[in-house]
Amino acid sequence: MSRRLLVGYASAAVVLGIAPLFLDPYWVDVLNSVGLYALLALSLNLILGDAGLFNMGQAAFYAVGAYTAAILSTQLHVPILWALPVSGLVAALFAALVARPVIHLRGDYLLIVTIGLGEIVRIALVNDVFGLTGGANGIFGIARPSILDHKIRRPQEFFYLIWAFVALTVFLFHRLEQSRFGRALNYLREDPVAAEGSGVNTARYKLLAFALGAGWAGMTGSLYAAKMTIISPESFSFWESVVVFLMVILGGSGSIPGVLLGAALVVMVPEFFRGLASARMLFFGLVMMVMMVVRPQGLLPLRAPRFKRSDLPRAEPAPGAAPGGAK
Amino acid sequence: MKTATRLSLVLILAAIGSARAADTIKIGLLAPLTGSWASEGQEMKRNVELLAAEQNAKGGLLGKQVEVVVEDDGGDPRTASLAAQRLTTRGVVAVIGTYGSAVTEATQNIFDEAKIIQVANGSTAVRLTEKGLKYFFRTCPRDDEQGRVGAAVLAKTHAKKVAILHDNSAYAKGLADEIKEGLKGKPVEVVFFDALTPKEQDYSAILTKLKAAGPDVVFFTGYYPEAGLLLKQKRQMGWKVPFIGGDAINNPDLVKIAGVEAAEGFEFLSPPVPKDLDTAEAKAYVAAYQKKYGEAPSSIYGVLAGDGFRVVAKAIEGAKATGADQLREYLVNGLKNFPGYTGKISFNAKGDRVGELYRVYKVDKTGGFALQP
Amino acid sequence: MEQFFQQLTNGLAVGSIYALIALGYTMVYGVLKLINFAHGDLFTLGAYLGMTLLTSLLLQDRLGTAAGLLLLAVMVMGLVAVTGAVLERAAYRPLRESPRLSAVVSALGASIFLQNALMLVYGARYQVYPDILPQNAVSLLGLTVPVVRIAVVLVSVGMMAVLYLFVQKTKVGTAIRAAAIDQGAARLMGIDVNRVIRLVFMIGPALGGAAGLLVGLYYGQVNFTMGWTYGMKAFTAAILGGIGNIPGAMVGGLLLGVIEALGAAYLSIAWKDAIAFFVLILILIVRPSGLLGERVAEKV
Repeated sequence: MSRRLLVGYASAAVVLGIAPLFLDPYWVDVLNSVGLYALLALSLNLILGDAGLFNMGQAAFYAVGAYTAAILSTQLHVPILWALPVSGLVAALFAALVARPVIHLRGDYLLIVTIGLGEIVRIALVNDVFGLTGGANGIFGIARPSILDHKIRRPQEFFYLIWAFVALTVFLFHRLEQSRFGRALNYLREDPVAAEGSGVNTARYKLLAFALGAGWAGMTGSLYAAKMTIISPESFSFWESVVVFLMVILGGSGSIPGVLLGAALVVMVPEFFRGLASARMLFFGLVMMVMMVVRPQGLLPLRAPRFKRSDLPRAEPAPGAAPGGAK
Repeated sequence: MKTATRLSLVLILAAIGSARAADTIKIGLLAPLTGSWASEGQEMKRNVELLAAEQNAKGGLLGKQVEVVVEDDGGDPRTASLAAQRLTTRGVVAVIGTYGSAVTEATQNIFDEAKIIQVANGSTAVRLTEKGLKYFFRTCPRDDEQGRVGAAVLAKTHAKKVAILHDNSAYAKGLADEIKEGLKGKPVEVVFFDALTPKEQDYSAILTKLKAAGPDVVFFTGYYPEAGLLLKQKRQMGWKVPFIGGDAINNPDLVKIAGVEAAEGFEFLSPPVPKDLDTAEAKAYVAAYQKKYGEAPSSIYGVLAGDGFRVVAKAIEGAKATGADQLREYLVNGLKNFPGYTGKISFNAKGDRVGELYRVYKVDKTGGFALQP
Repeated sequence: MEQFFQQLTNGLAVGSIYALIALGYTMVYGVLKLINFAHGDLFTLGAYLGMTLLTSLLLQDRLGTAAGLLLLAVMVMGLVAVTGAVLERAAYRPLRESPRLSAVVSALGASIFLQNALMLVYGARYQVYPDILPQNAVSLLGLTVPVVRIAVVLVSVGMMAVLYLFVQKTKVGTAIRAAAIDQGAARLMGIDVNRVIRLVFMIGPALGGAAGLLVGLYYGQVNFTMGWTYGMKAFTAAILGGIGNIPGAMVGGLLLGVIEALGAAYLSIAWKDAIAFFVLILILIVRPSGLLGERVAEKV
């Protein structure tokens, strides 16, 4: 990780750390919203940015996680923080199951399938599938999280919980980028045929990326459920998937700091312009169209490795050249 | 690093924007100013602002001017919870709102924890007042009351087979369930219970299926756009079985969508519409509204918001305080038969409005809504 | 048994509207390999324009119902066609050489933009068409079928037939087909591919606009979110029939309409919309080339 990035993260951490002391609960809650969306955007980034899979149904996995946590909390009285990994697991398994038959589809087709999937999940939730989801009413009475007997209730308390999770996620995902898994994903995004030819089992890695991204979205869902204490199908509509997709594209697909910036902008800008709420979506549409023409790589894209002059002395001499000979 | 700069900007702006103390009594209004129910939200705002102005002309409350703080809940729970949070930071002593049970539910805990009185005007789900929330009240009736009235209306039609159709929304399904409950033990068979998808156009498939079930009457608990289409397509099919609707049907556009011939004879339940409010003060209020805004109020829920404001104002005057506990005490015990524009208002310990509000309306030959005795 | 046939006619009527919209998707995809997400909103635009023109010009009063409607249809189709061409020029032409994701995002952005523009102009509430079509029903083979339902099917099938003949028999139609097969080769043959693309972006949306007008007249009610549902279903229909394949879109549309109607009748109404999505996913897994069409999946 570059020095600049580390400095950026450190300063952001400091500012965020002291923010709740200065802001009123409303703005803290806005930052909570940013945090949750940042988690979602990071999870989608794994699927869309790193693996290059067009996914516009992330809300479905978000919903699966949220509802799993809600059901565990209200029916089985499982403390919500224990339900967190379970929701992630359920969402990941669900994703693996539904993605398996379609993972080989070409870009725009996968996109449409994920949209369809998102809608099916939403309709299933509204129709109270298996009698568990409460239909359009949703599920209410979800317990608040408690750490060491301290119940987390106020926005300021949730702030630290959510952003701690964000920090953990950022750290883990950066490590993942550098790992073999991350490199394989990059490879298969850039050139699937070459990757397959080099022995990378593209189908398996794509599925893993999908499942991991979905699982993370699922965990975010359980955080959301704990915070709102009631969840209903309206919060998991196609529009949610579009918003998260937009955050990734706007910030820079594949770039973790870019995605964080995208999340912050998309959540906070409308809060400053609350009066123009109805024009907000119009603006989003316009931004999407313009961005693709003007800056398709996003605001903070991945930096492609650049060869600088200062790298020259470290470069090896070409084979056959006079050893130690300089020109 | 850009993130850090932006966050610093947020902090600065937020510090500037924090609520400043002023010498007014602030009453909040949470309403769907945008989104699918924007028309309801706009009326709620108009009603409350008119009443606040009238109150201020009379000298305000406890010697201070009344200020209405409006926040948009967008008709969806998440926006609503943010809006509610925002209201709690603005120093409001009570909040009127909102429309839509799921939306209100998302805000209940926030106001309860902040110890702010909440008076909902358009949220009829039964469970909202079954949670033991001390500071929550509502001026609108509950779905179980509508269910009872609905079942009674159905019984009066002497129908043997009834079909119940809803649209899977929280409100419509709740009402459909209540009506089904209300029919238990009566010699009526429910031959059909299913949901249509709102915002669609083509209900011919559903109507054909309904027809095949052979009901004597169909009760539709959804909203007016779908009801209008159902009536219109039913007529196209030549099917004459009568339809009855719940209170979400109450909107003049129903007749526009269905066409007068298709809508004629259709009955629905509703609290009285503004033009049928029969007390002298109510009529005077409707006239004042007409004068200020150029048209009469069309939605009863807006007027219910107005009544919500009036009971809060009365509670503040009666308790001579603005603390939540004193206001609650007054609303439950001190306020008896308050002359609201929508009828007499008293609250029980759960926060529900006491009394029967629902009436039956029928669409007449000219497409108007006629109140049935 | 009667219910089955009634539902069948319902399905055919709805399906023919899906087919009209699907044609727009399939033509654009054939030539540009792009899913025009904004197509559903062009359909909605047609419905709204129809309403505005109908209520302001009152052509049906001046020229009689049939002639008035015909003129109205021509106007609506023309206006939507122009919008389609503008859309192509503004949102898609600059991205011709860019990676596919950019075009997809831009299409989505265009869709969101159009939909909300319509909402801001016309309001979020449902808008109503004046009642000008005959509301009576006729007896057909023992069933009572509304006249308008039959009219919708006939008009749609008629337009599709005209399009098919145009694409198969005329020089311009052949140029379109050539560009769909291979843009580069078509250019070498002297075909002005840019013009072909612009033409496709006028014909497809024109048909979509006509479908919008039909829907407005038939159901009497329009709403700015119409485009989303109809668009998704029409797209499913296009895939069902084989994307890029014009007869495929027609078959797919009618078939989807019937499947939906029968599914609603015999399974559950509440899941009606999900049926379309299930069909979509199923087709893409089992037979991605669609019933009549080309290969779309690349197995890696």
